[in-house]
Amino acid sequence: MGELADSILAGDRRAAGRLISQAERRDPQAVEDLGILYRHGGHARTIGITGPPGAGKSTVADALITRFRKLGQTVAIIAVDPSSPISSGAVLGDRVRMMRHCDDEGVLVRSMATRGALGGLSAATGDAITVFDAMGFDIIIIETVGVGQSETDIVGHSEAVILLQTALGGDGVQAIKAGVLEIADLIVVNKKSTSGSDKMARFLRESLHDRPMRADGWDVPVLLTEASEDIGIDKLTDTLVQRFYHNSTQDRVSVTRRRQVAAHLTALADVEVRSLTKRLVAGDATPEAWQAVLERRSDPWTLSAQLFEKLR
Amino acid sequence: MQTETEIQSGGGQPVRCLLGMLGTDVHSKGIRTIAQLLRDAGIEVIYLGEHNSVKGMASAAVDEDADLVGLSFSSAAYVTYTRQLVEEMKRIGAQDIPIMLGGIIHPDDHAELREMGVRGIFGAGSTTEEIVEFVRSMGRSQ
Repeated sequence: MGELADSILAGDRRAAGRLISQAERRDPQAVEDLGILYRHGGHARTIGITGPPGAGKSTVADALITRFRKLGQTVAIIAVDPSSPISSGAVLGDRVRMMRHCDDEGVLVRSMATRGALGGLSAATGDAITVFDAMGFDIIIIETVGVGQSETDIVGHSEAVILLQTALGGDGVQAIKAGVLEIADLIVVNKKSTSGSDKMARFLRESLHDRPMRADGWDVPVLLTEASEDIGIDKLTDTLVQRFYHNSTQDRVSVTRRRQVAAHLTALADVEVRSLTKRLVAGDATPEAWQAVLERRSDPWTLSAQLFEKLR
Repeated sequence: MQTETEIQSGGGQPVRCLLGMLGTDVHSKGIRTIAQLLRDAGIEVIYLGEHNSVKGMASAAVDEDADLVGLSFSSAAYVTYTRQLVEEMKRIGAQDIPIMLGGIIHPDDHAELREMGVRGIFGAGSTTEEIVEFVRSMGRSQ
């Protein structure tokens, strides 16, 4: 017990990989090691990258790695892709965009599948952050799955959420809808050479302008990039550094930390609740009770109430 | 309902399989097909695509906690490349992670590859079932 944690604190990347796998499968053995590592953390700056599929999340991550390495910072990346709802398999294809850093000891990429989690991340994202933070990585970049409008778990785990959009992201109505647009700390219109990019940026700026000031006083910028050509990445990096600086006051640090702990606790609780739900539906409901509902002698509301009665 | 729940929970840890091509080999159609096939069999494929270096492949196997490394070849240099990868895995202490090869692998080379420590060889004529069964058998939870 605690051996993996000791190896990880000594910089053993193999051990880090193993512990994250244990956390992914909710292996009870992982808890003690993670607990030890948690006590060593709290230093890394966290960046979230989210946006629709194909907007260039991995490519932006790759460009940011290069920039932060030039600034002398070490970078860990948690790249999440969806699990198949049918086979539970996955193709984790984000790493392929970052392979130019594969010989660099100061960069570590871990790919993770969602394994049924719906918020755009793996349930073990907070655990992986704990591991990389304890290892001393300066920057942790968390890349979500390609999102639609509602996958907003990233906001709790990172202090700077970059939302990527492209010119194809819709019109001015899309820009005022609720959801991921509201959680962005920075909005980036990537693939800026695509026609309509400037218009998109204008829509987004207008919609931000009409919103009330944020509680943290941060003014959400809208930037344009062409990440594959490394265009606009300097400005993006500068803005991220400003965001970190903005978050560095005593009050802001404590707000960010609280939010991160809440997100981590929520993720852990969700797993427990989901397995409880499965047990209730698949295990505790008797075949007779099922049959009654199927034959319409009973109904889903009655059965649900009966199942929950047992918990109370 | 029961079976659906079992599928959803995956019955434990999905196997994590690194899949990529080394060197100048560019025939990526085959490896993409295999990636999808493994995905449909419940495997988590860490897809590295083409043009990987031996060093990059080995360090990815470690950082990603891969249960095995799958290489696809369509060029003749596979014996050399595989040997280099085996050596690099040894150098970084990851020689216990199994390697499998797919693609155009000549039967005359099988013995040499096996001797290097290659655990699975799937040349022309290999069936989907054979590949899936091998990959599944490499999972640590099994």
